Amino acid sequence: MPMDLPLSQLVSDDGSHVHRKIFTDPALYELEKQHIFSKTWIYMGHESQIPKVGDFITSFIAETPVIVSRAGDKEIYVTINSCSHRGVPVCRADQGNTRRFICPYHNWTFNNKGDLVSIPQERKVCNKPEKAELGLKRVPRVETYRGLIYACMDENVEPLTDYLGGMAWYLDCFFDRFDGGIEVIGSPHKWTINCNWKLPVENHLGDIGHGPYLHGSILQGTPQVQELEDTGLNVVPKPGHGLSVRLMPEGTPDEMCMFGMDGVAGMDPEVNQYLRESHKKVTERLGEVRSRLKPLCYSVFPNLSFLWPNMTLRTSHPRGPGQIEYWSWFVIEKNAPEHIKEKLKIHYTMMFGPGGLLEGEDAEAWSQQFSGSNIDYADDRTYYYGLGLGEEESHPEIPGKVGSCFNEHYAREFYLQWRQRLEQGIQETSKLEIK
Amino acid sequence: MTEITRDLISDVEQFYFREARMLDNREFQQWLRLVTTDVEYRVPVRYIPQPDPKKKETEAFLGVEQELSQGLEPDFRKENFFILSLRAMRAFKLNSWTDNPPARTRRFISNVEVLPTDQEGCYEAYSNTMIYYSRHQKDNHTFTAQRKDLLRLEKGELKIAKREVIIDWNIITGPSLSIFY
Ligand code: FES
Ligand SMILES: [Fe+2]
Repeated sequence: MPMDLPLSQLVSDDGSHVHRKIFTDPALYELEKQHIFSKTWIYMGHESQIPKVGDFITSFIAETPVIVSRAGDKEIYVTINSCSHRGVPVCRADQGNTRRFICPYHNWTFNNKGDLVSIPQERKVCNKPEKAELGLKRVPRVETYRGLIYACMDENVEPLTDYLGGMAWYLDCFFDRFDGGIEVIGSPHKWTINCNWKLPVENHLGDIGHGPYLHGSILQGTPQVQELEDTGLNVVPKPGHGLSVRLMPEGTPDEMCMFGMDGVAGMDPEVNQYLRESHKKVTERLGEVRSRLKPLCYSVFPNLSFLWPNMTLRTSHPRGPGQIEYWSWFVIEKNAPEHIKEKLKIHYTMMFGPGGLLEGEDAEAWSQQFSGSNIDYADDRTYYYGLGLGEEESHPEIPGKVGSCFNEHYAREFYLQWRQRLEQGIQETSKLEIK
Repeated sequence: MTEITRDLISDVEQFYFREARMLDNREFQQWLRLVTTDVEYRVPVRYIPQPDPKKKETEAFLGVEQELSQGLEPDFRKENFFILSLRAMRAFKLNSWTDNPPARTRRFISNVEVLPTDQEGCYEAYSNTMIYYSRHQKDNHTFTAQRKDLLRLEKGELKIAKREVIIDWNIITGPSLSIFY
């Protein structure tokens, strides 16, 4: 261990105490990259971003840059953006369409599967390099769920649907809600926040309780806050994943159950009309229970989040223990009318993204959490994650373990999952070393 | 078409300097009076596109426009008077945690150019802004951007009817793009 403490002292057995060093320690961060980011499914982007052959976007697995492209066989390939010759990144754009990635240094050229197709210097030497062995390194596993593209560095990882487990039922609420599916529009907003990568994820797992406080200048006294306290639930469909929902009681009128689009956008008559129309098909597609479900925020282990009311997907890409590159996308029903897309897009950027009113407050809290954690002399004071401890239970209507909207079991399960994966990874490597 | 006189250019410059002073002094409520009620305020995203081989050898190849969000693509910000007022008013609340304690800012406005439009009393104006932004003890950043404004005379007073702010970053390395540019 990098630190004198075993992992069991970093996260207590019931998850209710978490050591501040898990947010700041550089050696633990190296272990996270080795045993978490290279072993779990990592979100890359959405299929609607690369519909055509040759389309590509870039992404990251932890700090490693990758290219996600749609090749001639219509399949999606994820390759590490580092030339096989000397490591220069071969793709320098955020997104686009191309048949070839040409490395700037000596112009080795790769196709969108990452295969090396030409070496300009090849004709000038006698021993011919084996091009088939010199392609870009391919990320071995790529799978999609409802258009969400995932990749994993571990060839033997479980199938994506097993990995998501009960989370899929909740993801479907949005990603399978509409006949024509959903789409991601535009390139992501990207900005750096000086915080640990786990904090934004923890926030979206179910920290809905901070709303009226941190965001008090905007949310205090709004009907949404009352509704949240009355009907809000924190759900852990599978340890590590989590979400917050409002489950409206049976018999609640439709207009109270619509979509879960809150605040200013829902007050706009045109948006309201759209939400009414779109709600009509929900029961048919998702069943009666999910027609009363109004999700708020989701996180999927380790670093994908989704914020329902403002329709944004986000990933927390680590940049060392104390910084992230936060990426945030706008998602919407593909067949929504243009004027609705325009209005909801503004509803997203007004509140979220680097210029968003609420996001600014979250980012402030997350970076201050890092400052407050990165100190000495307080190691005996672990953070308290015990709100609602033991009060979560299974629910008659929705899957997973369910607690009240202030129950922090989502975070306890997340950090226990984190601890378990590190313990397992460390154990496996030490076995290898002994061999 | 309105004629662009030296007096007018000087008026626009003074208007911008006054605006910058107001914002640096955190007089956001007064600043709201410098924009029209139908104002359009936009900060597009600036991404890195794949070069278009069809445009090579022409200036369009490097055109800034193709790096900016357009159409239905989300900008960093696209706001009307209501959203701007929400930002301006929030700063003065005790529980506005991003403004309390407030950032220390210093704006430098330069490269002012005033161009005629075909509407009476309306001018297009370009300017550059450099904003030194300091939060808490030592969280210091410098923003630079081009501003493209539509200025309109209302009862003899210049007002901002439209502002487009072209940021010079791809990945935003400051803590927030929430300020007024
Ligand atoms: S480094 Fe890529 S071609 Fe030499
Ligand atoms: Fe928040």
